[in-house]
Amino acid sequence: MIVEYESKQTPIHRLDPRAKFMWVVATIIISIIWTDPVYLFGLGVFTVIIGFMGDFPWPKMKGTFMFLLIVTAIITLIQGATYLPKVVWLANPERVAFYLIPRWIPVIGPAWPLRIGGLIYGICMALKVFVVLIAISVFGYVTSPSEVVQIIVRLPFVSYKSGFVVSAASKFVPVIQMQLATLRDAERSKGVDFDSGSFTEKVKKTTSMLVPLFANALSMADTMALAMESRAFGYSKNFTLIRPYQMQASDWLMVVFSVGGLVASIVCLAVFKLGAL
Amino acid sequence: MEPKIVSLKDVTFSYKGSKRQALRGVSLDVKEGECVAILGPTGAGKSTLACVINGTVPRFIEGKLTGDVVVDGQIPNNVGTAQMASRVGLVFGDPDTQLFGMTVEEDVAFGPANLGFDYETIMERITRAIEDMRLQGLEQRAPHRLSGGQKQATAIAGVYAMLPKIMVLDEPTSMLDPEGKARVFSIIRDLNKSFGMTIILIEQEVDDILELADRVFVMKSGEFVLGGTPEEVFAAVDELKEVGIRVPSIVEFGNLIGADKTPFSVEEAVSTVKSGAWNKAIVGDAPIEDRAAPGLSVGSESTQDTAPILEAVDLEFRYPLGVKALDGASLEVYPGEFVAIVGQNGAGKTTLTRHFNGLLRPSAGDIRLFGKSVLNEPTASLCATVGYVFQNPDEQLFCDTVEDELRFGPMNIGMDKDRMEESVRDILLDIGLDKYRQVWPRYLTKGERQRLALASVVAMEPEILIVDEPTTGLDWLESLQILDYLERLRKEKGKTILIITHDMNIVSLYAKRVVVMANGRVVGEGTPREVFSQPKLMELAYLRRPQIADLSDTLWGEVLLTPHEAADRLKRSSSTNREVAGK
Repeated sequence: MIVEYESKQTPIHRLDPRAKFMWVVATIIISIIWTDPVYLFGLGVFTVIIGFMGDFPWPKMKGTFMFLLIVTAIITLIQGATYLPKVVWLANPERVAFYLIPRWIPVIGPAWPLRIGGLIYGICMALKVFVVLIAISVFGYVTSPSEVVQIIVRLPFVSYKSGFVVSAASKFVPVIQMQLATLRDAERSKGVDFDSGSFTEKVKKTTSMLVPLFANALSMADTMALAMESRAFGYSKNFTLIRPYQMQASDWLMVVFSVGGLVASIVCLAVFKLGAL
Repeated sequence: MEPKIVSLKDVTFSYKGSKRQALRGVSLDVKEGECVAILGPTGAGKSTLACVINGTVPRFIEGKLTGDVVVDGQIPNNVGTAQMASRVGLVFGDPDTQLFGMTVEEDVAFGPANLGFDYETIMERITRAIEDMRLQGLEQRAPHRLSGGQKQATAIAGVYAMLPKIMVLDEPTSMLDPEGKARVFSIIRDLNKSFGMTIILIEQEVDDILELADRVFVMKSGEFVLGGTPEEVFAAVDELKEVGIRVPSIVEFGNLIGADKTPFSVEEAVSTVKSGAWNKAIVGDAPIEDRAAPGLSVGSESTQDTAPILEAVDLEFRYPLGVKALDGASLEVYPGEFVAIVGQNGAGKTTLTRHFNGLLRPSAGDIRLFGKSVLNEPTASLCATVGYVFQNPDEQLFCDTVEDELRFGPMNIGMDKDRMEESVRDILLDIGLDKYRQVWPRYLTKGERQRLALASVVAMEPEILIVDEPTTGLDWLESLQILDYLERLRKEKGKTILIITHDMNIVSLYAKRVVVMANGRVVGEGTPREVFSQPKLMELAYLRRPQIADLSDTLWGEVLLTPHEAADRLKRSSSTNREVAGK
């Protein structure tokens, strides 16, 4: 997860993990099947509202959003220049919005026209990426990995141990990130300049950190395994799941809203073409 | 007589693939409700012994175990580790590797849930463990967001919730600041004295176990070399020093003055002196020399009449979306100084020093090196003047051999090859790692790796050396080796040394100047004597001065730093009294 889980008492944090899971799955499916940017924008706004209700730390996503914005802008431009979809509600999708090489450049201009239909399709793709990313990030922020484990182990044929592996692995990610940052600082303190040199040299500088990184991770995993063993991990097949979840009215509301929204959007798309370009 | 709850008879153990015996004929009987402390240098076999008691050796950690081990009527090797977990709880030094829950409550529930208790029982145990370990209000907090002391208290609560009869704690305070240490020792005291739990405590902090332990054992090379009541064990000062155990300063003071009964606390030492229950024959001897204090700041060794070599001016720094780590921190460092930066975790010590070689850049303020601002200098060039040694050696050793590790930094800064080879040769001899020049650094002991990490920065020949907590996880002898090396660099090569430390004994022995930090600011500074003489400052920074400082302050209203100084002071005051009486 890009943003780590935080234990808080917001209405979204308090929801049953199954209700939150239903919401994120429904949001992802709807964002995939819808192709109309107006509808996708609406879905995005709703996802952001859920994020605000869960006190999501938006500034932490700044870097990721900036990166995505650049990537999706490029995708939008490429789509605009190369693809012309059939747009139900647009009278003239092949109309040129502007040229990548403008008219005023002599000899070669105008060239590479960007058409309205293609641009709209590109924006639609970008919105899909943003909605999915925000939904998953908000879900990760409001749902603890152990709640994810609770969801997984309640599935048929899944053992508690497998669920715990998911949880332990997710805990390892920030630890490894911190280790990597320290190793990088230690290399910098010994004169390594990560900003200079050719691509091969930069790769070489980075790979020198991998041996201590893996060695430390293995050593830490070893100690963790010993500590788990010392706390009776695997003693009984009847591991007790604490927090025996009981769906409350708010949880059911979220489930009905998510499932209902998903079914409604599929029906409306199939019958009335609502949500389609 | 209380029944024996742990009985080890002639136990030996060798790790799989190793010919060396990690335990050699160890025999130990522990009575129910007893608190037994085990001391010893790193590699003595203390942790192996802990794992034998809870059965992880040899069932989880493979090897050859011989001898008889009976714990709470069970043979751990036959029963299995998980089954032993409800009889013996094992707590490790690094809390981060033993916390599994996403909240404190979940973590405490981990053990009972593994044992398959029903939901109501688990909740009862969580409530009790959280209450007894004083973690109320933190139930829903993420463990990695807690302070070091709170994390370790959570780890202990997780074990305690399984209601074991025996708790084995393997250096539980080795990674904590003074406040965290005090919290954990207070919990251990409660577990033993209030809840009647049998405690086996492996520790390096000798001062704190004095009042806690019923019996003390000292291990070396896999066997017990000393054992008995604290009085018996700590009376053997020479043997302890030979093994590499720091003798508690109060005990050493008692021995130096020939106390009738060895004092174990400041109060006992004060009462010994006041009642005259010590050997007056020491009066008239030559002054008591302190051979254990190479850097002792007896007088001022001020270098402050020269221009500062390094300056931090009103530094401000905030981590992304985090708390303000520096809030107007200012500091001047003079050439050839040995400065100790102290303060509780989160006070801003590491953040401040990481600005000195450009690892961090301030949001306001200035960093000056030789009077010139270096805010725009890259770390790659600053590191040739300001060396930075990180706390954990395993996060700063990158090469395949010890020799290459020493070449790594000099090569990066473009040092002349002949000069570099000469420097590597000298340093290897200097730090005693010459015989390991072709060895993978990971194969060295923790103390050796720490020395190598330090030496790998020294090899770049920086004017200033910053060493972040150089003694964490090391035994006393290893700590002294590191500090002696730093002191030699200062005295012989004129280096300026800055260390970050929580160990006030190290501060007493080596620091010429102490800088106290709290809440992102420098809140006080001075010689160790000056700083230890300011109780309010110590309180503000959650610091605890050495016991000998408490003793001398109580007796004579002045702060002394070592047992030898205090014994010498007693001798002087005694002869003055005699002279006055004679007149």
